[in-house]
Amino acid sequence: MSNERINIDKAAAVGNYLGLYFGQNQGVRLGESTVVSRKAHARMPERRIKGQIKILLNRDAGKTYLDFVDTDQVVHIDTYHRPGEIDPRDVARAIFTALDKHFLEKDPQLQYAEDERFKMVIEYTNKIFVTTSLGKGTVYELFQGNLRPYLEGEEGKDHVHVLARLNRDEYALVYVLVEAIEEVVLLSEVELGKVKNIIHGKQKQQEESFAGYLKLPWKKLRGQHATALPEKENVNQLILKLAEKFGGVEEIQDFMESYSTNIFKRKGIDQQKKKWGDVEHYVEELKELGVLKETPMGTVLTKQGLKLTDFIINHKCELETEIRRNMRKAPAGGTSRFKKMGKVENRSSQVEFTNRNKTINNRDGTWSGDLAVPETIIQAKKNSILRGDPGLTIKRSDLHYYEKKSYIPIDVCLVIDASGSMAGDKRQAACYLAEHLLLTGKEKVAVVTFQERSSRVVVPFTRNQQVLRKGLATISPAGLTPMADGIVTAVNLIQESRVRNPLMVLITDGVPNTPLWTLDAKVDALEAAAQIPEANIRFICIGVESNHLYLEKLAERAEGILYTVDDLNRDNLINIVRAEKKSMLKNNRA
Amino acid sequence: MMCMIPFSKLERYEGNEALFELVMMSIVSSYVGEPLHVHAEGLRGTGKTTIMRAARGILPDITRIKGCVYNCDPNAPHCPHHKDLSKEELEQIGVEDIPMPFLEISHSAKVGTVAGSIDIGKLTDTSKPEAKLLPGLIPQAHRGILFVDEINRLADTSPEITDILLDVMGNKPGHIQIEEAGLPVVEVKVSVSVWAASNPDEDPGPLEEIRRQLSDRFDMVCYMGRPDSVDILAQMLRENSHSYKIRQSKLNQLSASDEAANNAIRENIVKWAGQYEKTDLPDFLRNYIARLYIKHNLESIRAIEAMQQGAVLHSIIRGRDKVLINDVTDMIPLVLKHRVDGDSLVRMINDTDSRTVKDGILNFKSRKNKGKKDSEDEVDYFPNSARPVKEMNRSELINTEKTLTPKDM
Ligand SMILES: [Zn+2]
Repeated sequence: MSNERINIDKAAAVGNYLGLYFGQNQGVRLGESTVVSRKAHARMPERRIKGQIKILLNRDAGKTYLDFVDTDQVVHIDTYHRPGEIDPRDVARAIFTALDKHFLEKDPQLQYAEDERFKMVIEYTNKIFVTTSLGKGTVYELFQGNLRPYLEGEEGKDHVHVLARLNRDEYALVYVLVEAIEEVVLLSEVELGKVKNIIHGKQKQQEESFAGYLKLPWKKLRGQHATALPEKENVNQLILKLAEKFGGVEEIQDFMESYSTNIFKRKGIDQQKKKWGDVEHYVEELKELGVLKETPMGTVLTKQGLKLTDFIINHKCELETEIRRNMRKAPAGGTSRFKKMGKVENRSSQVEFTNRNKTINNRDGTWSGDLAVPETIIQAKKNSILRGDPGLTIKRSDLHYYEKKSYIPIDVCLVIDASGSMAGDKRQAACYLAEHLLLTGKEKVAVVTFQERSSRVVVPFTRNQQVLRKGLATISPAGLTPMADGIVTAVNLIQESRVRNPLMVLITDGVPNTPLWTLDAKVDALEAAAQIPEANIRFICIGVESNHLYLEKLAERAEGILYTVDDLNRDNLINIVRAEKKSMLKNNRA
Repeated sequence: MMCMIPFSKLERYEGNEALFELVMMSIVSSYVGEPLHVHAEGLRGTGKTTIMRAARGILPDITRIKGCVYNCDPNAPHCPHHKDLSKEELEQIGVEDIPMPFLEISHSAKVGTVAGSIDIGKLTDTSKPEAKLLPGLIPQAHRGILFVDEINRLADTSPEITDILLDVMGNKPGHIQIEEAGLPVVEVKVSVSVWAASNPDEDPGPLEEIRRQLSDRFDMVCYMGRPDSVDILAQMLRENSHSYKIRQSKLNQLSASDEAANNAIRENIVKWAGQYEKTDLPDFLRNYIARLYIKHNLESIRAIEAMQQGAVLHSIIRGRDKVLINDVTDMIPLVLKHRVDGDSLVRMINDTDSRTVKDGILNFKSRKNKGKKDSEDEVDYFPNSARPVKEMNRSELINTEKTLTPKDM
């Protein structure tokens, strides 16, 4: 068999296997140096075994690296190498030639259709993106010598990072690409790195280390003058970091008390985790900062830790102000990704009020409105003089009216799934959303939760932050998902309260599994959802992608919209509700 | 008039001290024609408005063309009435000294009051009615201070006035347009230091969330802290007690000693202003600020200009004729806290701090270790070299997690 034939066979075999494994949501090692999947890849230094690569099942490659909206569009090829530098332009050239050669080998007829062949190659070179530590670009760009700079921390440091938009029937090309890439690596006098093992797993959200840059000046914490300012900023920032995680000053105190030497106040790690999610990272950071320390009786607050607690107590008002200031801030950037399904047309009612500080000339010619008498007389007098009228005359064009302003209030009722799986970060994110809504709007917020076998109103419609916080603090996720009950409770609450343009936001990471009326929890929830449009309530559901089939039905019954996300995190929740409120306002204006 | 505690007698404590300095720096700067916009943010009871209003008592005099509502500088007249007059004509009008203007706009002000509107006095003159413009508070505050209490509410309810403020604060000096239907538009330059106060915790929330642009126009923002010592609180209570106020108002005006104290500050301000015109930032500090800008990717040029202006003023009101590095670092939180997030601010502050020791030893050690380990791992993460696919059989090409994981694991 000819060499060429062998290569084509190898490529075809690789293509088949890739189709098979990608279909099972897996990645593979191709050869010894290369990992191929449709996901993002990461090293695994935490395991202390070298040469392992983790395939991050929750991070689609196209979404992660190229901001694609749809998943599974991109094949991710990483060819690892030992220390050394690879010029991406060399890689591009090699890929260009290899593709050309491959098409020719596959179909020798193409040697007579050079234009056609060239067109095919060009098409692919626009779909393949290469990064090495020396730069990046599409193969097409790189082939022409255009190089975008490599940024520190990007993919491509110890490997040739290739993203290719390939359909299933084009997977054979992966072999062609890898062979070409390896050749360039070797020609650059760099050794290929052997990938010992691959592991599939989810990426843990990277927690940021603040112990590294905060500086706590214990001796000068209080009573010092202007020179103490920089240190104070550090202490402030530490507390804001903790507040971001735990929710507020009281929760921080609560958390710190878990580490007091008073045995009755101490709380075990499991209890803490249920409430606040992953706390270990914070414990580690606080140890590094000297706030907590390890003793034979467990982790306890140090002297400094006690001072920090005092500081928090003494500056509670200012700290709470700053925490609220942070909560009002919009999430940074458009990093949220969510899918929206469904559409509703709703007319909302608006509130009108008169702005006594601004008058407008009667432009539209109607005689209605709130006449601004003083302004009208002044204008008339002025215009009489300008017109040259003897004495005061009032003409129609002199009339001034007070400006009318209107806004559409949207009162939000959050219906939060408080089943066991929502414990920790998801609970925190939903609570944060509630506070953010209250602080950034002029409207009322209510919270209903459902868990175990029933649901309850955690916070009735309110504008009072104290009331909200007190209610939120009582949410402790556990048990099953009685969604129907939650929806019914919320509908009743909305009907009983004086609310304007109610929006119900259902937040859940699951599907119903505790029935209300029948034996089928899912059917009951659909039944309950049907009450929502009857009560004239606008509805959205925020759920996770894996449940979209059921939740779509639910949203449809509620005549609402389903948003699905990878992760029920803070930014996603806030961005979705904000987008929804915006579209409610826009619909109304249109 | 409301009874007011004189500037020099106001209680000073850690949380409000910076504002006293900022107020004086801004007056010095305004006096030489370079505005310095200051925003005090804090809860109720932090004395932000009290301090700013009390500063009225220490304002120096300025000289203007006699009777000019636009406060024309006799050496550089700018208003529509005086800008085209000859030297002789100006001399005929003469000059006068007035206290540096301090005007206040409330959050419910109207555009006409702020910018200018038809002069009702002239309009209703029975013998000779005229349609003339009357400059509003801002043009009348030229060469002085414009104070806006509850600026967050103003920005929320009155976007029109906010736009005017943006123009006024956009450059140094800024400009303002006075429009009145039927009359020619008047555009004049205004050199006004805008002082603002707000409570970020009350409706409608912090200024930066309502109108980011306006918040960025402030050169310095002072976050006020509440007094936390019993002594200071007791003293403040005493001064606010009813009987104390009555006793004070019986004295009717400021006592002679208070007057003397205010005068002393006033004289200093004039002296400092002279000094400010002569003092420049040394090159190494200017480079230092420029490096901060680049290293921390600051967006606002305004911020580093304010840092330079502030550092020089800060050194001068402390009676120094040389600007020190501390003058610059003290400005960092004031200039940047409203412009960057908390993490970046702390990083910047600690950056400048690191040269003056204070580094937590524990901290330092652990960081060093971490760094080393990481880079070691980095280099030999793939200790073995691999064979290329070209040399491999078809059957060896594909491996999965299962086939790569040793059975006994
Ligand atoms: Zn003038």
